[in-house]
Amino acid sequence: MQYGMIIDLERCVGCHACTIACKAEWEVPVEFARNWVYRMGPEMVDGEMASTYYPGLCNHCTDPVCVPECPADPVEVTFKDAKTGKTKTMEVAATWKDPFDGTVQIDKSRCLGCGACADACPYNARYVNPDLVDDVSEDGKADKCTYCKPRVEAGGIPACVQTCIAGARIFGDLDDPNSEVSKYVKKGAKGIEPDGGELGPNSRYYGKKKDMSLLFRTHTPELADLGSARRRAMLASLAKPAIKTIRNLGLIGAVGSILMNENNTSEDKE
Amino acid sequence: MAFNLTRRKFLQSASLAAVALPLSRAIASESGVKRSPLEAKGSFKDETVVGGICEMCFWRCQLVGKKRGGRLVKLEGNPKSIDNGTSICARGNAGIKLLYDPDRLKFPLKNVGERGNPKWKKISWKEALDECGNKLKAVEDKYGAKGICVFPHGSSAKYPMHFFERTVGTKNVSEASFFQCRGIRDTAYVATIGKAPGEKVDMPNAKVIFLLGGHFGENIHVSHIKRYLKGLQNGAKLIVVDPRYSASAAKSDIWVPIKPGTDTAFLLGIMNYLIATKKYDADFVDEYGDGFEEFAKGIEEWSLEKAAAACDLTVQQIKEVADLLADNAPNVSIHPGRHVSWYGNDFQRQRSLACLTGLLGAFYVKGGWVPAIGPKVGKLSWEHKEHEEEFNLNLNSDDELYHPFTPPGTPTELIRDAALTGKPHPIKGCVIWGQNPIQTIPGQEKMKNVLRQMDFVMCVDVMPTDITMWADILLPEVSYLERYDYIKTGTQWDLSEKQQQFISARMPLVSPLFERKDQVFITNEIAKRMGYEEDIPVKTAKDMVEKNLEVAGLSLAQLKKEGGIHIQPGKNPYNMPDDFEVVFFNEDIEDAGFPGVPTYKPVEEPPAGFARLIYGRVPVHTFNRTQNNVWLHSAMPTNPVWLNDELAAKMGLKDGDEVGFINQDGIKSRTTTIVKTTPGIRKDCVYMGHGYGSANPLMTVGVGAGVDDTSLVTKIAVDPETGANGMRNNFVKFIKDGKIINIPTAA
Repeated sequence: MQYGMIIDLERCVGCHACTIACKAEWEVPVEFARNWVYRMGPEMVDGEMASTYYPGLCNHCTDPVCVPECPADPVEVTFKDAKTGKTKTMEVAATWKDPFDGTVQIDKSRCLGCGACADACPYNARYVNPDLVDDVSEDGKADKCTYCKPRVEAGGIPACVQTCIAGARIFGDLDDPNSEVSKYVKKGAKGIEPDGGELGPNSRYYGKKKDMSLLFRTHTPELADLGSARRRAMLASLAKPAIKTIRNLGLIGAVGSILMNENNTSEDKE
Repeated sequence: MAFNLTRRKFLQSASLAAVALPLSRAIASESGVKRSPLEAKGSFKDETVVGGICEMCFWRCQLVGKKRGGRLVKLEGNPKSIDNGTSICARGNAGIKLLYDPDRLKFPLKNVGERGNPKWKKISWKEALDECGNKLKAVEDKYGAKGICVFPHGSSAKYPMHFFERTVGTKNVSEASFFQCRGIRDTAYVATIGKAPGEKVDMPNAKVIFLLGGHFGENIHVSHIKRYLKGLQNGAKLIVVDPRYSASAAKSDIWVPIKPGTDTAFLLGIMNYLIATKKYDADFVDEYGDGFEEFAKGIEEWSLEKAAAACDLTVQQIKEVADLLADNAPNVSIHPGRHVSWYGNDFQRQRSLACLTGLLGAFYVKGGWVPAIGPKVGKLSWEHKEHEEEFNLNLNSDDELYHPFTPPGTPTELIRDAALTGKPHPIKGCVIWGQNPIQTIPGQEKMKNVLRQMDFVMCVDVMPTDITMWADILLPEVSYLERYDYIKTGTQWDLSEKQQQFISARMPLVSPLFERKDQVFITNEIAKRMGYEEDIPVKTAKDMVEKNLEVAGLSLAQLKKEGGIHIQPGKNPYNMPDDFEVVFFNEDIEDAGFPGVPTYKPVEEPPAGFARLIYGRVPVHTFNRTQNNVWLHSAMPTNPVWLNDELAAKMGLKDGDEVGFINQDGIKSRTTTIVKTTPGIRKDCVYMGHGYGSANPLMTVGVGAGVDDTSLVTKIAVDPETGANGMRNNFVKFIKDGKIINIPTAA
């Protein structure tokens, strides 16, 4: 399966509820955002006045450019399909594309906080969250939209979808031809592919012709220059604390459960 | 403006263990080992508490809270709600940032500096209440109840308002929601159909939706947006009349870029055309109309040509709208509007909207104006007492009303003028509760002078808003998440679905922190000190809600058991009442000395070099109440000024340029904003979002962020029939790098 999200611009009224709900749900620092709403226009599009929104978020790309840039030492991780119980073991760095649900995730405990992945993302969907520090990284940890994986696995829906006042955010399996999101794709919903890129963004947009033109004209990004991402990655690797990398050990903590880490009990109880 | 509030800084500034967040960095302990949880838990598995009613705006969506260790971590729509459902808007979601705002008022404060330039001293509640009670009593003893004025706003202000109005007996009450907002709409419709219209248009089932200035998407009320979008999804054609290509214009089939202030001419042109071409609903008018002949005759001068000339439109633009409405009548939503205090000629415009609805037969029909039938609950409050002295600033010496179609209360300018002149009597005590008259009412200097001459000013609020700088005593109120208060009733939003009613009461989701108190406690304590102890209607806010629920056969316990919302069968709303009528020509208005047939009164044109300043809503703010909310601020940190792109080119301005303003009275904005150039606004006006640019340094997030549009509204217009303000009759030039830039008027 491949999770995806459709943003229906015919419905979206640009209210920012999605952005704020996400901040509340995932304790996103004020100055960062896992999702955002930009307003475009009013301007002329093919002789017509137009104005619409770009409610953006991680695209959980089919072929993500961020994942290969992670310099963290790869480890073997066994992934589990939440639905069928099937497992698959792969070597992954601190960020990867999940083989079962197609989402792109981060293991914060192994993230070096170097920001290479954030530099590599043409959509600026990743940021380094300075609130998250440990002995591995003083500078914070890479952070972004997870498609609310923990909520979804617990039977819920993404926080932004739940709060959307317009019913403009539709979440589901793009590989299921009968899903609501697939119907939108058949109707013409499209992801924003960077110039010259073939990332296969799975957050996709649907709307009137003039609004889609305006969105794609104003927010089609360039592919990131990976030079800077790689320099960051290199520096991070050199400075890495001398932690022995343990390979072929099989399963180092079920990564799927990292996201639902129940050990987060450092509530300040003063 | 660079803005950076890391969680650590937030904690330092808040300096409260109570607001420590689960993810806060653990400060390095002596061992140097740092531990921090690396994944936010998410709220999904947290405890859910029911009974919240939002008051980030006044639509009052029903909430549930997510709690972790006594702290509220998230607010969500109540899944049981047939109103907003699981949806809440950006402001609703940001409610916890109001609740835990480190800048919130925490303790009773006494101003030991001067009004407008305060020095705050923390005092005890006893001292604060003694001071309020004694000072207000002294005003009452010396000047009578009429020496007190009240500026209330919001659910919690109702109880104190009733105390001063009904029990103490002052009529000098100016509610922002009437005199600077929707009062004109209500009284104009009452004069036409006998009812206040609310926003009761059945948009989901309409074939055409007609918005005059309504900008949904920038203005957000959740179930109203749901209605609007369902209508659009069902294929309704959308007509938006607005000088600016607004958020709703962006979804429209027809955008009418009307010249500001001429809306009544536009409506008269449409109505005369419908009558002249017999495209109006003659059967409906025969059956329910009153004074139609006089009306038809009274507007016959309004040819399409005349209207087009007045509105700076083409004949075709008006005809197209009129035909689309006529072709789809009666299933058309003629939206009554909400904020309608625009130009001081607004009563006539609102009458026109009501008459147009009548001509189209669009009352009590699918897609038309249909008031849903909600449940009844109690309205326990202070009793109306007999008062020896009846006085009313709205009465002239012949006992005639200056503004006969005024909303409840007394027109703001009558109160302010009496305070400033001492005639017909002095006003020396001022109670401000949840309202911010500095950023709400035009003429800031006038307001300040009103406050300067008071013997006593008290403010009750949750935030240190601009008005609080003028208080002698400033009291910290609990927020909507920490108190018993409003009972929200209503129906499902799509009237074509199964008829249901709901009742939901606001209950606290968390206990108040610091020394914040609620409206019933504060009012009762002041009442005791003013000698009105025996009139106290209820001991606690909770009791008040219980008694009001009893009327509906409910209790708080029962509501809680039902998930915070009680749902019961509803009634079909589409039945026309027997006595319903549409008064096209209104003799009472004529007798009072105003036009009984809807009449267009032109407003002043911008002087050379100036453009008209128009304002509106942004989706992340409610009036000027939410400026300091750090999440909302970060979503839209400033209010860019919309400037026509051709003008901008002539003025040498481009997107992102930082500008200030100077208005026709030489008043300059205190702060700056950025330019947004666009073809989507006319050349005779500029536009900015309202609710920015606080002047109070205690609002560490909102202070100086963007431009306070109200500071530029110094020329005060008053709508003569209602006494409400008109706030779009001011004109501005730009200031860049200290230089004044004329606006090349679009002649």
